[in-house]
Amino acid sequence: MASPDTAVSALLVAPVTALEFLGDDCLLAGKGPVLSAYSLRAPSVKSASLSVLRNHRVHGIRPERRDRGVSAEVAAEEEPLGSSWQQRVQLVVFGGKALRLVELGGSEAFDLRTLGPVRELQDWVLDVRWVGGAAHLLGVALAHNAVLLLEAWEGHVLLRSSCEDGCLLYSALLVGPCWQSLTVVGGTVFNQLVIWRPTVTTGSGRTAPVERRLKGHSGVIFGLAYLPERGWLASASDDRSVRVWGVGPLGGAAGCGDPSPTCLQVLYGHQARVFSVTLLPVGVLSAGEDGVCLLWDCGSGKVSRALNGHRVGGVRALAVSSGWGGRSPQVATGGADGGIRLWSLGETDGGQVEAELVQDLEFQGGGSPKVVRMVWGGVKRHWGVVASTDQGEVYLWEEGSGWQLLWRGGREGAASSRGALCAVGSLSGDVWLFPLSQPARGTLLRAGLGKVHSVLWEGDREQRAGHLLVSGPEGLVRRWLVKPELGEGAVSLDCVPLRSFLLPPCAKRWLTAAILVPQPQGALWVCGDRRGSLLLYRDSDEGGEAVGDALRPLSVLFGVHGKQGVTSVCEHRGLLYSTGRDGCLRVSRVGDGGGGQLEVLRVQRACGGMDWLERVVIREPEGEGDACFLLMGFHSVHFEVWDLLRRERLLSVPCGGGHRSWSYCPPGGGSAEDGSAVVFVKQGAVLASRTPADTSHPSGASLELEGGLHGRGITCVCHLGAVRAAGDRWEVLATGGEDTRVSVLAVRPQNGAVKVLAVIADHISSVRALAALRRQDGGGGATSLSALLFSAGGRAQLQCCRLLIGGKEQVGSLSCQVIQVARHRLDEHWERRRNRHKLVKMDPETRYMSLSVVSHTAEQVFLAAACSDGVLFSVSESGGKFHLLWDCSYHQRCVLSVASCCLEDPEGNELFVISAATDGIIAFWDMTGVTDVEDGQTAPPSYAGKFIPAHQSGVNTLALWEGPWEGQEAEPAGHSWMTIASGGDDGQLSVIRIQVQLRPREMGGSGVSLKLWSRSALPSAHAAPLTALCFLSPALLVSTSPDQRVCLWNLCASSLGHGGVLFSHVADAAGLAVWKGTEAESGPKGSAWVAVCGQGLQVLRLKEERDAGKRTE
Amino acid sequence: MGRSSKDKRDIYYRLAKEEGWRARSAFKLLQLDEQFSLFAGVRRAVDLCAAPGSWSQVLSRKLRGKEPKDTEEKKEEPKIVAVDLQAMAPLPGVTQIQGDITKTSTAQEIIKHFEGQPADIVVCDGAPDVTGLHDVDEYIQAQLLLAALNITTHVLKPGGTFVAKIFRGKDVTLLYSQLKIFFSEVTCAKPRSSRNSSIEAFAVCQNYCPPSGYIPNMSNPLLDHCYDVDFNQLEGPNRIIVPFLACGDLSAYDSDRTYPLQLDPSKEYKYTPPTQPPIRPPYEQACHLRKNNLLATEDSPCRPLDGAFSNLHLSANEDSEMTSEVDAASLSAEAAHQDTVV
Repeated sequence: MASPDTAVSALLVAPVTALEFLGDDCLLAGKGPVLSAYSLRAPSVKSASLSVLRNHRVHGIRPERRDRGVSAEVAAEEEPLGSSWQQRVQLVVFGGKALRLVELGGSEAFDLRTLGPVRELQDWVLDVRWVGGAAHLLGVALAHNAVLLLEAWEGHVLLRSSCEDGCLLYSALLVGPCWQSLTVVGGTVFNQLVIWRPTVTTGSGRTAPVERRLKGHSGVIFGLAYLPERGWLASASDDRSVRVWGVGPLGGAAGCGDPSPTCLQVLYGHQARVFSVTLLPVGVLSAGEDGVCLLWDCGSGKVSRALNGHRVGGVRALAVSSGWGGRSPQVATGGADGGIRLWSLGETDGGQVEAELVQDLEFQGGGSPKVVRMVWGGVKRHWGVVASTDQGEVYLWEEGSGWQLLWRGGREGAASSRGALCAVGSLSGDVWLFPLSQPARGTLLRAGLGKVHSVLWEGDREQRAGHLLVSGPEGLVRRWLVKPELGEGAVSLDCVPLRSFLLPPCAKRWLTAAILVPQPQGALWVCGDRRGSLLLYRDSDEGGEAVGDALRPLSVLFGVHGKQGVTSVCEHRGLLYSTGRDGCLRVSRVGDGGGGQLEVLRVQRACGGMDWLERVVIREPEGEGDACFLLMGFHSVHFEVWDLLRRERLLSVPCGGGHRSWSYCPPGGGSAEDGSAVVFVKQGAVLASRTPADTSHPSGASLELEGGLHGRGITCVCHLGAVRAAGDRWEVLATGGEDTRVSVLAVRPQNGAVKVLAVIADHISSVRALAALRRQDGGGGATSLSALLFSAGGRAQLQCCRLLIGGKEQVGSLSCQVIQVARHRLDEHWERRRNRHKLVKMDPETRYMSLSVVSHTAEQVFLAAACSDGVLFSVSESGGKFHLLWDCSYHQRCVLSVASCCLEDPEGNELFVISAATDGIIAFWDMTGVTDVEDGQTAPPSYAGKFIPAHQSGVNTLALWEGPWEGQEAEPAGHSWMTIASGGDDGQLSVIRIQVQLRPREMGGSGVSLKLWSRSALPSAHAAPLTALCFLSPALLVSTSPDQRVCLWNLCASSLGHGGVLFSHVADAAGLAVWKGTEAESGPKGSAWVAVCGQGLQVLRLKEERDAGKRTE
Repeated sequence: MGRSSKDKRDIYYRLAKEEGWRARSAFKLLQLDEQFSLFAGVRRAVDLCAAPGSWSQVLSRKLRGKEPKDTEEKKEEPKIVAVDLQAMAPLPGVTQIQGDITKTSTAQEIIKHFEGQPADIVVCDGAPDVTGLHDVDEYIQAQLLLAALNITTHVLKPGGTFVAKIFRGKDVTLLYSQLKIFFSEVTCAKPRSSRNSSIEAFAVCQNYCPPSGYIPNMSNPLLDHCYDVDFNQLEGPNRIIVPFLACGDLSAYDSDRTYPLQLDPSKEYKYTPPTQPPIRPPYEQACHLRKNNLLATEDSPCRPLDGAFSNLHLSANEDSEMTSEVDAASLSAEAAHQDTVV
């Protein structure tokens, strides 16, 4: 019954709570009890992981200090390990009330090896310091302001010294080369820093006096750092500030340093609590709950750089490399989401880098610039800016040569340039088209009589020929195929007119975006207009001048992007992406084999609350990996560029806000050395902002060593199935979190790999429940998977989307397409109900607590949902809409859980819904009538006659198994059985067995009667609320709880037996999902996998070799 | 979301304001009393980490509310002592001690107020400043409870009752085993006003009977226990789990439920302002700076408010006398503003 025999941990995503550099080429990280070593060298050394602290979380890692002849000199002892650490290094890893010695070695692949057992201490360990060369002597700072001298090899405590101030510490820091001269800095629960020496004891109690006391913080101290070169001590606090103190030399002969320490800086800049701080000669680095890591200039108190990348939940660990041998220091940040990022602090980081970046290009032409475009190439193969003015003039700016007038015409209407060509539309319908290099060799095109509203180019820069689309009056879009031809040093333009497009009638009738999409049946044009409509046209090479000849759209999604218009359209792998000033990105496709209608698959709000989206750019990866989606737009007064998938801001330029003409060049756009650049018009000036190219990462962001998951608690997890990619079996899971997101993950528990396939950010409040329906099952060998995923949560929101997950056999990559099927909010629905005055008003503040799929047909899915306002209801989803079928306020209390089952019956299946609320009562509902909706009338469910009090307080979870159980006598005809297991806030596990007698339907009322057959309960199954429960087989249950144990329970005919327990590293465990392993991978006896979610995600493998498991199948 | 939205989401918050309690946690003690009759025959009560004072309010109303009937009771008014680092608004019949619960002097002061008599009941609703990391938070909460237990061993009469907030987390069985050394009956009680989703519960420890020869000692902190191989296993069927009891009438309001604003059809909903303004939270200054756009940026350093620098230049120990007075009870500050009616 010992636990390692029954279950082992296969995968863990948890907050990163410790980071430490080893030289410049190795990063050590602690996540749960697991220590990982990552190589930062190129070519990369394989990383390694090892679980070292059993039931404790790693809070710190301290590499041994190289023995340099222990001297009292402060400077010498602080010398860090060189850039290339030796072949083998001993580490002490600590956290909670434990520490352990670990050895790291290896040149081709890292190798981690524990040295001795976990050393458990009486009190919480806050810091550890090597104090005795090769003798394995450690100084250990404890949370009650005491220090131990520990012989780590044998685990003997040699000495113990307490401070006279015995209060609780939130943080501690040990400084000094050896025990005799050790100095302790403690961050107390009373918002102070105390400095004392363990060897200086006084008084009868033999306690050490506080020698320095630093006051000023108004919150507890979460983090401390000391920089001996400057004599700086830094503290990070709950009050959201970082303070830098001048304490002078600490430790060694210097003792407690300066007798009157001063506060040098008070750094307020974080938006939330600050958890960690480190010191560099150039300044202070701090990070915390707001997810931002700030580099401060210590002299001025200004922020030199903000490293932004972690999701909600913030940064929990921070480390900086020494920057040995002239290399620039690297910063590593570890998030509450489990992600680890690496940032390079270049030499340029002297501060104010970004402030200087907005540069006035000092426009000198006549009139004021209206439209700006960035161009490349030109004469000097550099980037330049083309600006057209309200006077109808076009100017070119180039690096070094300034502004020059290119072309002069009448008063213009619109202008656009592409590569080396420029088109200018006038108020009278003329379009001037000319090469930038030879403005004189232009041609005049006629686009009707009236103002040219817009001029658009379609075609890649590299392509020789391109399309010019000119929107004239009356919604007519004239098109030309333009081919520049070079002859005798002069460019001539060959313009072939094509048939015009006619836009749907509306007020602002001009095109704002257009792309040409090749299709097997002939190319199609996907366009967006100023009215916010998406339009589909057939491509046609025919000419046609008359209005009557104009092509009409094949398909119109009128005003789909709102009244402010579509801003861009692009295509990627058969899907269309469009952005609009409504702040939304829409993913759509052309239905019916390419010749049909446009349909929107998914609407996504932009990242970071951008309310005005301008463009989406998709960049294919250079090798393997996923494409990069860049979203550009305006967020209040900033122009921002976001990485859509990573939800990370790449650029933010204070341009003043939307409305203005702008142009963006992504990094490497002009040439490889270029960084990104933005040009925009502001108050008659042309301004440019350039970001230097960052060598560490192509998009100028950080390097992601480890991807993160939800930053806050994961409330629910659901197993969707398995797909195969490059011969590997990946399990697909969906998780919902307090961060309002639903994530689709592929996990490979065999090697602990996790991939985030999609993040669905459609909820406006915390996601609390998931339910899934797989459409077909190809087994574990299938390369694709389709599932309907229902998610529900706060603010009474219910969402449904279809997931198409496909693996590519060769590349081994997985993709996930998300199609939004339906969404529903109670308050929206409420307004449309006819007889609403008769019903209990459902409050829009209602939270959905639980969700269950009751049954489904080809067209419809029936669901049961539990609500926090005491209502239980049933909805169906069909044709992209949710329909409320039935609701009931029986519980009158918050309904916490709902489950359903379908019993087979010759006359049609009997559907049951089981619900339970905070009063501990489990209720049974016969839903058979509710789903018979053929005649449009629904029968209310006849209540099936059972309300069983099962718990003292809330029933958090219900699990259900249909059918007879082990040892059950032969089933009489017309009888079925169900077993309901429930877990409560009281920590109790209860099992109820019900006999269901089916009666002929004609008798009226409910067709069934329920009989309580047996019940059993274990009052103290868990030491904390039992929050999740699943059946693995009719005789085996799995449960979990915030007491962080995953328990197995054997169900016999009349009793519940303990079947094993495993400590889990997911705090605040809230959900479970189970699935069976394949025979091929785990032998004929089979194994099962359990996923636990909470503050992280853990997958455990159960070895189902117990008798109970064997007997059942 | 308007100001009434919290009223919709949290019924006890709203009731606390309407009934004049300083925090919604008052209902928790009332419901614990319903189940355990905590105050029967109580003449001397101690409230540790008392600010903002909602539990003291309950003690005051419950112990002093009933008119003494027989002559014996008339002789002595029930005595209530509230201990916290912070001062709080006065309450009728409650003596405040501004002090640290880890100091022997505080215990002596309590006994002095009781004229040498030990207390009948000690209650503690304190919670620490949380970090968001569950292992750390659970540890610190356990240390707060043990500090409360330690001072309780100085002031509680044999057979007396101790009630304290616990977090039901990964190591709660270690706390249970520690508490069972001092009390013959330990129950994990969850009032219905404490949310189902929260890991908070209350250890109701009855019949104080310290091990024979136990001498209360405040110079060393009480530490929590460790897992052992036989009785309190890390992974295994044997753990010390105390009985669970849900407290409060089932007809009481459900703290997890969302209620419509108009609870009673005959009574119009009216917004009630909070009973007490919030205690000064640690982030007050940071919020003020942010609101006024004074946080540091790339362009400018942060400009702290007047007076923030006045106490920066300190020399060591200069006023340590004063600060050592200020101590562990500030742990209760966060608890207070988590639950305080704001």
